[in-house]
Parts: sequence; structure tokens; C-alpha cells
Amino acid sequence: MSSDDELAERLRDGDEKALRTAYDRHGGAVLYLAQRLLGNRADAEDVTQMTFVAAWTGRDTYDPRRGTMLGWLLGIARRKAVDRLRSAARDDRVTETVRAQPAPPGGPETPERVLDRLVVADELGRLPEDQRRTLELAFYDDLTHPQIAAVTGLPLGTVKSHIRRGMATLRRRWEVDGAALGSRSAGPSRAL
Amino acid sequence: MQHLDPDRLVLLALSEETVDASESDHLERCAGCRLDLASLREVAELGGESQEVRDLPPPPEHVWRAIAAEITPVADLTARRRRRARWVRPVLAAAAALVVAAGGTVAYLVSRPPAASVTARATLTPLATVPASAGGTVRVLSDGEMRVDVRNLPLTTGFHEVWLIDPDDLTKMVAIGSLTDRPDVVLPVPPGTDLNRYRLVDISDEPHDGDAAHSGRSLLRGTLTS
Repeated sequence: MSSDDELAERLRDGDEKALRTAYDRHGGAVLYLAQRLLGNRADAEDVTQMTFVAAWTGRDTYDPRRGTMLGWLLGIARRKAVDRLRSAARDDRVTETVRAQPAPPGGPETPERVLDRLVVADELGRLPEDQRRTLELAFYDDLTHPQIAAVTGLPLGTVKSHIRRGMATLRRRWEVDGAALGSRSAGPSRAL
Repeated sequence: MQHLDPDRLVLLALSEETVDASESDHLERCAGCRLDLASLREVAELGGESQEVRDLPPPPEHVWRAIAAEITPVADLTARRRRRARWVRPVLAAAAALVVAAGGTVAYLVSRPPAASVTARATLTPLATVPASAGGTVRVLSDGEMRVDVRNLPLTTGFHEVWLIDPDDLTKMVAIGSLTDRPDVVLPVPPGTDLNRYRLVDISDEPHDGDAAHSGRSLLRGTLTS
């Protein structure tokens, strides 16, 4: 599997196959984000299309040092989806002022939340097999460290270090992509 | 000051254990540990939510076709309008060679059977300046894709570009895409392209000069017939 660096370089060289690779790898996440934000499939597919076309025309602006390609693509998709929501809201105000109600608290999740989830899921998939497996048991099956040790046959100390390292990696990625996307402020100064 | 142990922070973040009184005291005073715990809790929560977004299915293929159709021709067409003059002369000079681009058969192996039926095809033959062993075939499929198979093209420091040209007005053309090293290249024909008008297939040698217009150096030509 080619790295983001290599993919970025091929993209900058105008290699359309690199865009196809990015689409195969991340198109599902882009579509998911768009669908969660827009709530309808046709608009979500439109936004997915716009996202990859924009990624192509703006391919010189992607810098692998500032975040992953997935993070970059999701950032574009979020902007496109929000633009579409805004223009839909404008249309609604003109034709139907009743619908200009503020969203109820605890209603639809924020774009940042969906985006963070996708970024963490992607990084989880990239972890070394042992770390990934122990984290899945902790996250998805709610198993405790000793239970994970029993299920996997790994020593408790090993389970501990897999989970600690895995979570540290997820955290780094979440903070890096989050900072690149502006969904959070970078560094320890951010509000808790 | 005794900070919270990293393993301990993970257990707290996963809610596997709870904060005791001395830890609670420490967290109150220590912004660093507070931040670590809050971040790890967030990561644990996102990790739990991540199950539903692992292995997402790819978007349907028609979305990709729409993307491909949009990214291929835009730059070429706008640039061409700007620089048409440069293009006209070499094309007219090459037009004589068109007559040659009729006969000739090419053995053609399909790596996988096309799902869509063939709506038009062309046999590509070399222009006068190109070695006679060069050639190829083009098939347009009912789903709007074009399959291009070429062989023995002269080496280039640039790249090879596929065009559809109006033989009745050689300044009118549509850029279809560039060829790769693979023998069987599939390119999208922009939806709505009139293949009765833009029926002349042209493979050109394009330098990496950032100029998206046709270089005027045509290598292969052939006419689409249904």
C-alpha cells in the first residue's frame, strides 16, 4: 500500500490514477461524512463528487506533513457539505420561514464529531495487529485488561502496553488531523 | 508532584477503574494530567464509536465516473481556446496522413470481458513521422468508457494524450485523458460528447510544459465507426 506521501506526489504530478487510489481508499469515509451531515443520499453523492474534483484541482495544496490524506479529504468534504446546508437553509428561509428553527440541543452530531470518528477508525485500522486487536476488545466488547489477557492468551503486561501504545497513537493522530482541520486548537492550551 | 501513571490514565479513560481521592486531588491541581485524561477519554469514546465506520463500502461507481468526467477535460479545453493558433498548422499538415488511417488490423487481447457493449471502435495507425510498428485500437462502450490499447509508441519525455477531434474542423477537440504504461487503459468520455462529430481519435505526444493544449505532435490517428 502506497503511503500518503507517495500518493500526494503522484497527485501533484497529475496522475489521475492516484486520485482513483485515494477514492478507493477514502471514498467510503467521504460519502459517510456527507451522508451524516446532509441526511440524504443524493446530496451526499454530489458532495463526494465535488470533494474529489476539488481535491484534484487543489492537489498542490495537500501537504502530508500537516495531516493525513483522509483528514485533508474529510476537511474538503465538510466544507462542501456545510456550504450545501447553508445554501439549502437560505432557500428555506426564502420559501418557508417556518423551518428556520434552531436545531434542538442534543440533536444532529457536529461535523467535527463524525470526522473525528472517521479519523480514529482509520488510524485503528493502521495499528499493528496486536495493538489493534486488544483495542477492539476494549472498545467494542468492553472487556477489561484481565479479560483481554484471558481471551487473547497474552500476558497482562503485554495487553497493558498494547493498549497504552495504541491509544497514544490514536490520540496523536486525532490531535494532528484535528489541528490540521481546525476542529480543535492544537496543543495543550485547548479547553477541556 | 507525582503525576498519574500512563497505564493508570488508560484504565481511567476506559472507565475500567475510577478516580480515587488522591488522584482527584492531583487532577484538580495538574492541568497536564487533566488534559491527558480528557484526551484519552475522548479517544476511548471515539474508539467505541469507530466500529460503525470501519470498512465502509466504497461509493457507487457512477460517482467515480462523474468525477473522472469532470477532471479530465476542463483544463485542456480552456487552455485550448487560448492557444488555438499554435494548434491549427500542425493539424492541417497532419491531415493528409488521415487518409492512411483507414485499413489495418490489430490483434487485440481483452484482459477481462467488458460489461458494456461496444458502441464504436477505431483502429489507430501511425502518422508519417512515427515508426510503422506503432498502432492500437480504441473501443467506446455503452457505459461511456473508452478503452484504449496502444503499442510501440515512440518513447517520450512527456506523456501521451488521447483526444477526440472533429475532422470537419480540426480546431475543435475534446481531451479524453492521458495514457499510462498499462496496455489496456480505460478513460471516461465526457457525457454528452457527440461521437458522430468528434469521431477522429488522436494520440499525441505532450511535453510536461504545463500547457494543456494539444502539442501539435500527433502520433496515432483513427476514425470511430459504430
